[in-house]
Amino acid sequence: MVNPEISSLEKRIQQSPSKTELNTQEYFVNMGPQHPSTHGVLRLVLRMDGETVQDIIPVLGYIHRGIEKKSESVGYRQQVHLTDRLDYLCSLMNNWGVSAAIEKAMNIELNDRIETVRTIVAELQRIQSHQLWWGVFGMDLGAFTPFLYGFRDREKITAIFEETIGARLTMNYFQPGGMMYDIHPDFVQKVKEFIKYFRPILKEYEDLFSGNIIVQERLRNVGIIDGKTALAYGATGPVLRASGIPYDLRKIEPYGVYSKVQFEVPVGKVGDCWDRYQVRMQEMQESLKIIEQLIDNIPEGKHMVMKFGAKIRPPAGRFYSQIETARGVFGTFFVSDTTDKPYRMHFRTPNFHNLWSVLKMAPGGRVADLVAILSSIDVVVPDMDR
Amino acid sequence: MTKEELLQQVCGLADGMTIQEQSNQPTVNVPVEKWLSIAKTLKSDQRFQFDMLSDQAAIDWPQENQIELVYQFYSTSLGHNLMVCVRVSRQNPIAPSLYQLWPISEWQEREIFDLFGVRYSDHPDLRRLFLEDDWKGYPLLKDYKDDFMLERPW
Amino acid sequence: MGLITDQMPPMIEAFPGGPAFLTSLDSIINWARSSSLWPLTFGTSCCAIEVMMAAGAAHHDLARFGAEVARPSPRQADLLVLAGTIVKRMEPRLRTLYDQMAEPKYVIATGACAISGGPFIYNSYSTVRGAHEIIPVDVYVPGCPPRPEAFFYGLLTLQKMIREGETIRKPNERRKPVLANLPPGLTLEQLRKEMIQNLESHSVTKFSDKPTGGF
Repeated sequence: MVNPEISSLEKRIQQSPSKTELNTQEYFVNMGPQHPSTHGVLRLVLRMDGETVQDIIPVLGYIHRGIEKKSESVGYRQQVHLTDRLDYLCSLMNNWGVSAAIEKAMNIELNDRIETVRTIVAELQRIQSHQLWWGVFGMDLGAFTPFLYGFRDREKITAIFEETIGARLTMNYFQPGGMMYDIHPDFVQKVKEFIKYFRPILKEYEDLFSGNIIVQERLRNVGIIDGKTALAYGATGPVLRASGIPYDLRKIEPYGVYSKVQFEVPVGKVGDCWDRYQVRMQEMQESLKIIEQLIDNIPEGKHMVMKFGAKIRPPAGRFYSQIETARGVFGTFFVSDTTDKPYRMHFRTPNFHNLWSVLKMAPGGRVADLVAILSSIDVVVPDMDR
Repeated sequence: MTKEELLQQVCGLADGMTIQEQSNQPTVNVPVEKWLSIAKTLKSDQRFQFDMLSDQAAIDWPQENQIELVYQFYSTSLGHNLMVCVRVSRQNPIAPSLYQLWPISEWQEREIFDLFGVRYSDHPDLRRLFLEDDWKGYPLLKDYKDDFMLERPW
Repeated sequence: MGLITDQMPPMIEAFPGGPAFLTSLDSIINWARSSSLWPLTFGTSCCAIEVMMAAGAAHHDLARFGAEVARPSPRQADLLVLAGTIVKRMEPRLRTLYDQMAEPKYVIATGACAISGGPFIYNSYSTVRGAHEIIPVDVYVPGCPPRPEAFFYGLLTLQKMIREGETIRKPNERRKPVLANLPPGLTLEQLRKEMIQNLESHSVTKFSDKPTGGF
């Protein structure tokens, strides 16, 4: 019996354009699903000419868990748990995305304390996510030290989260109508300590990694994509901003208390791996700035404005709202039929949309460049497959 | 342009277009046979300039025997957004593919084909995206049944 | 004759005048195997961050337990750490990876998804309900995701099992899996002490019970 998956993929492979020169022989390389630099179980079929990548065929679905089907059978409060497991490195921002969508549908006004704490905690997680990316980026380029440095500092934020939230990775902290718990009494002091600690460390990151000649050679002018193409291929977040389009929902449609704080949106010029690297490094600085402006005067108030545990029944209709995570736009679309479970729940995930610009970045480059490109767009595979 | 002006101008593009009230975004219903030409206008017209297709989703309505396709557009130059709902029949769901206007559409459509079975005409590579090719049925349809899937007992 | 017990002596010294004959070679082999596990980097989802990355990095430091040489190739690995959800499409690939690993091989299933399907056990059409449906599992580490300390507890449980004679196992023979469940009410300090006791009972080095890093 012919495996139908292979036959359909083979058909696609035969269609892929052949560009051999000098009578070289083409061949195919399977990258993944078990590969250290695809960050999970992503599979790429590469059409190669020598060491040059000609064409890429991504094959998804190795971690497709059916979250959207599952969402239809659980209540609105429980959606937050499922979003933890999409992009687990931005779980708080995903929680915020789905909570904000439900709050908008029900016209719930939040108090300032909730908005401020949400902003601080989300920015902390943006730093945390970029720290992990920085470490893994170094490891993918063949340097092990950034991995150790990145995780050393990531543990500091994890410790702060653990005190307030009680979890290290899958947070489940933001609920429709507020937060699960109020912040820990030590939260403010610990965050201040962290900012004081992390500013010189960021300089250390730059000294260790950015100025390195090998890093520069590996990143500069590799995987170039212009802004228009990136937008057409669905990229958002740092990938799009590195190509020169300042599309950041924190500025465009401010949510939380982003409209009250001063921060820049870092934008690249060329759109290569180096720009994507720089944009994320500067975003960490900007996040520190945002936290510094907010941490000293967190307003007083309740941490939950809804009755805790009450069933949520939004009015009938279609609701779409989006939020900026560390990787791009996380959108929540749901259809309510006035029962306590959504009729349909759909997540617009940033990684699924960011992946396809690789098809424009990588062809013409080497396999080693593809590893740098994949790492520079910072893929999280469960977020792609849902 | 305000939300109402945008909706009026979009509705003026063709007959049979209505405003969808039950939504938190500016939303229009578009008949499927006119959808491709209207999409071209939304992309190229100076008044709209929707250069970003943020999201595509589908909703199954078994009582009305229809599948609804929901598109989210955003214009980076003009800063407005629009939600478009297109209904296709459930027995023979065929919709036009938008991959020539917004390339990301190619994979968003593959996802909807995979999970809902909506077929897109002129799609360059309409294969299942997440599930294997020999998968029976389309799991996100409301009447999907499976020997493997367990119902929650409470 | 040198008497080799379950406890490995700090050094094996040759007897004056002739080579030492080891009566209980198996216990040496088991000790060696238990102290140099080479995990396969098989992380499908969330647990991979906690179990493979955070545990392997500087703060928690998997190297203390002799299991830090993570290999991406199954041919070079003998410990499969199943970190994350397994879906139907991944099932044959996981089976292949397991088959490609050299004997003797061990499997630790970490997290709710690898144990039972976790949050996706009901109303999911593609999630496999537990790794045991595909490959034999030696140790289960519960949590969603388990903290690195919980994973270490599972690793120490596996090391204990190996030292107690798991090498004699026939290839592919299924044995009863062990649930490495942290007892309720255990504090992190107690856990660290227990880990260090366990480490010191099989080693000549002294360990500090102060956690590294932190404020």
